[in-house]
Amino acid sequence: MTNATFQVSQVTKRYGVGSTEVTAVRNVSLSVAPGEVVLIMGPSGSGKTTLLLMLGALLKPTTGSIQLNGTVLSALAENRLPDIRLREFGFIFQDFNLLSALTVLENVAIVAELAGLKSRAARQKAAAILTDLGLGERLNFLPEKLSGGEKQRVAIARALVNDPALILADEPTANLDSKIGHEVMRLLRRIAKEQQRSVVIVSHDQRIKDIADRVLWLEDGQFKEVTTMAIDPVCGMSVEQEKAISTEWDGRTFYFCAKGCRDEFMTKPQR
Amino acid sequence: MSLARRNLVQDKTRFMLSVLGVALAVMLILILSGFLNGMYRQISAYLDHAPGSIVVAQDGVRNLLGATSLLPADMDSLVKTRGAAQVVPILSQFVILDLHDKKVPAYLVGYEPKIGGGPWQLAAGREPRNDKEAIFDRVLAQQHNLAIGDTVAILDRDFTLVGLSDRTASWMTSFVFVRKAALEALLRAPGATSFLLVTPSVRVGEDELRRRLSDRSSIEVTPKSTMIANDLNLYGGVFSGPLRLMVAIAFLVGTLVVGLVIYTATIERQREYGVLKAIGARNSLLYRTVTTQALIASSLGTLLGVALAFGIAQLIMTVQPQFLIVFETSAVIQALLLGLAMALFAAWVPARVITRLAPAEVFRK
Ligand SMILES: Nc1ncnc2c1ncn2[C@@H]1O[C@H](COP(=O)(O)OP(=O)(O)O)[C@@H](O)[C@H]1O
Ligand SMILES: [Mg+2]
Repeated sequence: MTNATFQVSQVTKRYGVGSTEVTAVRNVSLSVAPGEVVLIMGPSGSGKTTLLLMLGALLKPTTGSIQLNGTVLSALAENRLPDIRLREFGFIFQDFNLLSALTVLENVAIVAELAGLKSRAARQKAAAILTDLGLGERLNFLPEKLSGGEKQRVAIARALVNDPALILADEPTANLDSKIGHEVMRLLRRIAKEQQRSVVIVSHDQRIKDIADRVLWLEDGQFKEVTTMAIDPVCGMSVEQEKAISTEWDGRTFYFCAKGCRDEFMTKPQR
Repeated sequence: MSLARRNLVQDKTRFMLSVLGVALAVMLILILSGFLNGMYRQISAYLDHAPGSIVVAQDGVRNLLGATSLLPADMDSLVKTRGAAQVVPILSQFVILDLHDKKVPAYLVGYEPKIGGGPWQLAAGREPRNDKEAIFDRVLAQQHNLAIGDTVAILDRDFTLVGLSDRTASWMTSFVFVRKAALEALLRAPGATSFLLVTPSVRVGEDELRRRLSDRSSIEVTPKSTMIANDLNLYGGVFSGPLRLMVAIAFLVGTLVVGLVIYTATIERQREYGVLKAIGARNSLLYRTVTTQALIASSLGTLLGVALAFGIAQLIMTVQPQFLIVFETSAVIQALLLGLAMALFAAWVPARVITRLAPAEVFRK
């Protein structure tokens, strides 16, 4: 399912009725390509979580449609949604939300079992993913024994275990210190790229901008300006195209974090 | 893997509490019903073992233990000629004995050792050979430090204790047996008979014999089984109501304990259940998790409760032998089912909590 395309069209969500009505998200459209990492930023109360819930089929939009691989999720019956969430989406939460009674391995394996894998196969798959995420030594630990960064890596493993098309993360770095948060997000990006999974991250953490392919700014439930990210071909950093130093070469545009990188690039542009 | 089991293991104290709650409830239920059973068995013990299937008594007397009965003279030969294979006359009277200054209620039975109606099992000694010998219930004798060979006063005469009968104890009234002639003398009623324990002849049969005796208005002819039921009603009925109420309360308390424990455990973990729902777990799986927790707690509790009941019953009967606690297989099965029912009731409210959980809430603080 990794070649899924995710299409959000003209989605609006209103909470409440009459005088207490709040429009949390208005007329938002968005499409996410396979392997693309999209970061949605915005101030608190701008509708980020609401949007993410709708993307993850946990909340029905008031109007508009959400499509995954041509299936209109927003029109599906309620009892179809658990299976879709289980197989097509991976969720990463702000406060990790691991099951406290289960070990690291079991936390991941149980989700594979929910999707129908036998216990042994589920454990094997979980162990492989956890090991890939650097948690091979922690498989039999209880979550309480882990650091925040480790917990969030377990959560990433859990989100990946059923090979979802789309991973949704709500403020995944809010409970991590900035260095660890950045590392964990880089890890998520690496896996998304390797496995061609789409990622939508909702956050107000400015420091993780560089791991995204695209940054969207949500304010009052609407996208304000679109920032497109590019990778500096010299140092590998993610930079905002609109603000970066750029140069044309061989009919393509390249973006750099600083003048130094551009100068270096120009000495050997054919690389 | 079993999330239910892991959840229980993680909250050991709570788990233990719920097991203990069920165990105590099941134990109480079993002990109470065992006590009731034992009491029934004690009340019906004499008639259960007495010969015959029909009891002839004074008109209006339909139970053995609760009333005084005096039959008209020569009734036994009349009954015999109308179609009985065997007629066993007994004279019986509820009395208060003075055993070393203690008033002790007893059911005094006068019987003919050669014909029957006496003790059906002797723990020691022999049957009385003359009118100065008596048999005491074993437990009654033990409680008052009486041994074979001792002299005991019954009403205004002294008797020698020559035998101890088994299974004739009751915490209400124990049995004392003397020869019928001895009791006649004691009661100053020569030739008196209270009851006839009648075995109809095969040719005539029970119904026909009862019909043939129906012309006699001075007597009451009752099937032995009805007589037993009347005794049970008279004595057991007083206790069965309160005991049943206590069983119901024990059941309720057990259910509440597991219910509260599972409920708080569910409330505490509702975020985790919400996470599972968000990830894609269906309600049915979460119900199963909660119900399994309740079932594990209640099965362990029930087993422990049954074991405790047997232990405590043994202890009670050793210390207080006049109490009989009888566990019938059906009562144990009933206790197991009640334990199961406790689990299902206990899981019901937490299951409602889970149904109402909105998975989207997991994303909010
Ligand atoms: N369940 C709800 N009922 C009513 N209003 C809500 C609900 N959830 C969110 N809102 C409102 O919708 C707006 C957007 O909230 P939210 O999506 O949580 O924003 P963010 O995640 O960007 O902080 C806020 O004004 C919030 O108060
Ligand atoms: Mg939010």
